[in-house]
Order: sequence, then structure tokens, then C-alpha cells
Amino acid sequence: MDFLVLNFDIILTLLKPVLIFALLFQVLPLLVLAERRGAAIIQDRPGPNRAAISLPGGLKLRGFGMVFNIADAVKLLFKESFTAPFAHKWWYILAPAIPVVTAILTPAVLPWFAPIVHKPDGGALQVVSGQIFDANVGLLLLFAIGSLSVYGVVLGSWASNSKFSLLGGLRASAMMISYEVSMGLSVLGLILLVGDFSLTRIVEWQTYHAWGIFVQPVGFFLFLISMFAECNRNPFDVAEGESELVAGFHTEFASSKFMLFMTAEYLHVLLASVLIATLYLGGYSLAPFPLPYPFGAQGVEWVVIDTAWIQAHLGHVGGAMLIIGGLTMLFLSHLVTVHKRAYAAQKPSDLAERAKESALFAGLFMFLAFAMVAGGLFAIVAGGPTPLSGVIHEAKPVYPLWVGITTAVIQLHIVLGKTLVVAWLFIWVRWTLPRFRYDQIMALGWKIMINIALVNLLVTALIAKLVK
Amino acid sequence: MAKIVPRPNLSFWEQVYFVEIFKGLATTMGHAIRNLTGQTKFPTVSYPEVQYDLPRDYRARHRLMKRPDGSPRCVACFMCSTACPARCINIVAEEAPDKHIEKRPVRFEIDLLLCVFCGYCVEACPCDAIRMDTKLAVMAGDNRADFVVNKESLMEWKPTDYPADDTQSQKAPGGSLHAQALDEFKSGTYH
Repeated sequence: MDFLVLNFDIILTLLKPVLIFALLFQVLPLLVLAERRGAAIIQDRPGPNRAAISLPGGLKLRGFGMVFNIADAVKLLFKESFTAPFAHKWWYILAPAIPVVTAILTPAVLPWFAPIVHKPDGGALQVVSGQIFDANVGLLLLFAIGSLSVYGVVLGSWASNSKFSLLGGLRASAMMISYEVSMGLSVLGLILLVGDFSLTRIVEWQTYHAWGIFVQPVGFFLFLISMFAECNRNPFDVAEGESELVAGFHTEFASSKFMLFMTAEYLHVLLASVLIATLYLGGYSLAPFPLPYPFGAQGVEWVVIDTAWIQAHLGHVGGAMLIIGGLTMLFLSHLVTVHKRAYAAQKPSDLAERAKESALFAGLFMFLAFAMVAGGLFAIVAGGPTPLSGVIHEAKPVYPLWVGITTAVIQLHIVLGKTLVVAWLFIWVRWTLPRFRYDQIMALGWKIMINIALVNLLVTALIAKLVK
Repeated sequence: MAKIVPRPNLSFWEQVYFVEIFKGLATTMGHAIRNLTGQTKFPTVSYPEVQYDLPRDYRARHRLMKRPDGSPRCVACFMCSTACPARCINIVAEEAPDKHIEKRPVRFEIDLLLCVFCGYCVEACPCDAIRMDTKLAVMAGDNRADFVVNKESLMEWKPTDYPADDTQSQKAPGGSLHAQALDEFKSGTYH
């Protein structure tokens, strides 16, 4: 145990890549499910409910359509790995790997929690960053790696040696070039205010001032639109516009190669969501701006809800988050029951079997709800002032290690919560807007977005100068 | 002659497009919330488990009507097979034992794979012996022979599946037992 605490920085640094990788591939199926379910509820359909795992006792586990992910993966992996005879083989096989590799590299510079600071007994002070790679040019590195993913699309489309693919690839590359400019310019306003490219610094700045969406609303919208274009999502998915290009750049790809393209697409959506949450929604910071606290020593005080504040009020913050999670679980349980009742009203032939699954999930969510609410209440009541270790680092008290880890977990959940909100925005927009025509996309990118981004940058610079 | 479609006159805010995007987003989010919280009834159903109630005049698989004694009401007049555009009805007639009825079918077969479900046979029948109100819209079989339905299977239907107030749909009057059926109908024991 002492060994673990003493070498905590080394262990966590080694573990971080594995944990983040595992985390991404845990959230990915959720995102695919959210896409399917979201499409269904927007279009007034019941949604995916066929694929099921039959368990003993007559229970057919559908998991709200989650089993479709397993079925898809199995199907795509075991399909014949068809290689088109007219393709350039080497590049054709290499192409699908590039977007996935870049998508897996990108989270390295994203901050998932504030640096964990702790001082073990008889050891030196340790600071473990919340990023895998704490680069002071984090954002630039992220853009540089992220932009590489279009090489996979272009290479795949070229290597396919098919006209539809090539057209899709060309569209993707043209769009990437157009929107890369407005993306960079739109985020520059925020960089101007923060004065740093490091993503941890950007999040810290937002914690002490206000979230990016409040100080840069125009920049936020421009960045969001650019991100839709970067991810090849609706309304900018002309690269695979199936109405005119069959399936665009992945027309000639099947089985596991196709799966890699699909994985990369959803990973990009996920990472774009994390990036937007980090840049404009405050990343791991809890409150959008410093909040007024009316019972301070000199009347109303403005309290900054930063990492130190969370650590000082760990019981309350953790308890509140647990209670919010528990109420969410209660709502899910309620939804399961409501939908079971609505389904039973249609007098289906498999009501008994469905009722079993509904009862299982409703009970599970109810149990989780009670456990989480009880845990949260216990944390609020029993959690007094967090014990101090007496060490000060950068004018902030340093707490024992377990406080640091708990704070990191809380902050990770804050990031994930914001990410899911933004990811829902991606899905929501996809099932609302029709696809733009190709020339409209180019016109929007070059004639409108860049101009607005430049004006935004100018205005931001003026205001920043005047305020300072 | 070429038809000139006038361009829609868009207002300023519609041309900006931005406002319309948010209107569209509000619409889809409204649908999403209503459906997520189970407030709406989907226009679609989970098909094999839940089935739409077809209207009674939907032209589904045929059935042969019966007399009070259970014999087919068909008099083997060949009107239906003559009217059939697909020539899917095959009837073999024989002399009926009832002296009030001239003929009866010994075989009455319909090839459902040939049938176009036009309903001409129902219209042609002079004694309302064939109907298409079974609501059986889905028919399945392993080979072609399975789709040739004979007289016995056409007469296999439960009176409880059909509305009781429609006298013609139950055991039909006619033949020697006509008077008995009418008496039953008057006394209320007719079913």
C-alpha cells in the first residue's frame, strides 16, 4: 500500500492511457445506441428492439437495443473481408486504420480532471496531470492530429479506384480545408482571452472567469458548426451523400474495414463533443461562473467553484452528484414502466416476455436510484470538512490522496456529462436538418463562416484590450 | 404544356435560415421528449407481436359460408371460377342429397398464389357462399402445394370471430332447413 501511494504519480501516468482508451470504447456503444434511439424518438418510431440475448427462464434481454451493437460487431467482423480486385491493395488496407489511429491519439491532450496534487508521507510532492500528455501547445497538437484523419478518407477513396468513392473523398478533403480555417479562427477568440494553448489552462481560466459559451457565444456556434463539418456529420455529410454517391468514400469497403471507418466516425463525434465541452462548456469545472454566496463574512461573497472548493466541500459535492445520478436512475425506471404500459395497451402477443425484461430493468434502476440517493444523503450528512494534510501548494491546501482521487472521479463525470449533452446535440441536429448541397457548404464555409469568425476575433481583441 | 412553379416568397428571417434551424430543432426536440416520456402513440406498431385490426371489408383470404347443418352453402354454379380473372378457383361438382338444392361442391380449391384478391368471386356468387372477410392477410407455406386451399380449410372458421349482428355471416338459411333457421332467428336462438 505504501509503495502504491509513494509511486502514485508513476502508476497513474502509466494507467491513464489505458483508462482513457477503455473509457472511450465504453462510451462509444452508448453513443451508437443514442444515435439509433434518438433517431427513433425523433421520427416517432419504437426504435431498435429485435436483437436479443435469450437467457434461461424465458428472459429475452434486449437492453434497449444495446444488443444490436454486439450483433453489428459480430456481423462486421465475421463477414468476408472483400477486397475490390481493382483497388490499390496496400493503400486500400491502410486507409481505414488512419482515422481510427488519429481518433485514438487525440484524447491524449484532453484534460479529463484537474491535476491531482498530493504529498505522501516521507515522499516528495506529486502533481499528476489530468491529461495523458500535458502539452503547452495542446490545442494546436489536437488540431494537427485531428486534421490527419481526412487522409484516411482521401486515401481510402483514391485506393478504391472507384469514381463514387473518389468524388466522396474529394468532397471530404475540400470540406476539411474550408472548415479547418473557420474552426481555427473561431477558437482563436477564446485563445486570445485565455492567452494559452494548454487545454488545462483554458479550463482553469473558464473556472475563474466564465464558461467559454458565455464569453464567446459567436465563437461557440462557429466552432460547433465547424465541428459538424469536421466530423462529416449532417448537415455536412456530403462525403458519403448516399443520394448521389452510393456511400461516398466507403463505397468499396466492407466487413472489418468498414467497421473501422464507422468506429472512427463515432469516435470523432465523441472527441469533438469532449473538445467542445472542454473549450466552451468549462470542461471539468462545476459552475458556469463564480457564484454569489450570501452568508459570507462580509455579506455577499463571490465564490469560485474551483478544484480547491470541490475538495474542501467534497462530501456535499459528491453527495449532490450522487443524488442527481440517483434521480436520473429513478427517471429511467419511470420511463421503463411508462413504456411497458404503453406497449401493453397495444395488446401484443409477447407481453409476458417483455414484462419480464421491463421488470428487471425497472427494478435495477430503482435499486441503483435508492442506493445512489442513500449514498448521496450519507455523504452530505456525514461528510464534514475535508481533512487537511497541512501542506500548501501554489497557495492551495493539499489534501490526502483519497480526496484527490475522488475529486478526479467527480470531475471525470462532469466532463462526461457535458460530453453526452454535446453528443446529443450532434444527434439532434443530424435528425433535424437536411443535407446541404455541396456548393452551399462551400459558400457557407468561405463566404460566411470565415467572415463572421474574423469579425468575432476583431471584436474580441478590442473588448479584451478595453477591459484590460 | 410546361407548368411554372412559382418560387416561394421567403421572408427575411426565412432567408437568413438561422431562425428556421432553431424552429426545426424545437420541433424535433418536442417529438423526442413526447416520445421518450411515452406521451404519444406511435403510428407504427411492433408488427408480428402487435397487429393492426384490419377493416372487415379488407379483401383477405377467402372462406366458404355454411348452412345450419354445417354443409357448404355453395351450390357449385361455377360463377366465381368464371368471374375469376386469375383462374385460381377449381370446383368439382356433384349432386346434392338435399332435394331443394341441385348441386354441391365435392372439391373447392383456391390457389392463393394465383389469386389476385380482386373480390370478383365474392361479387359473382349468387348465394353469398364465398367471402373474403377473414382478415387473414398473411399466408405462409413451405411449398406451392401449401397455398392451394381446399374446401375443408376454407370452411374452417369460428362464428365467434365474426360480428353476431350480421345474420348473413353466420349459418345461412337455405335448403331444407330454411324454415328451421328462420324460426331460430325469430326466437333468438340463431347464432
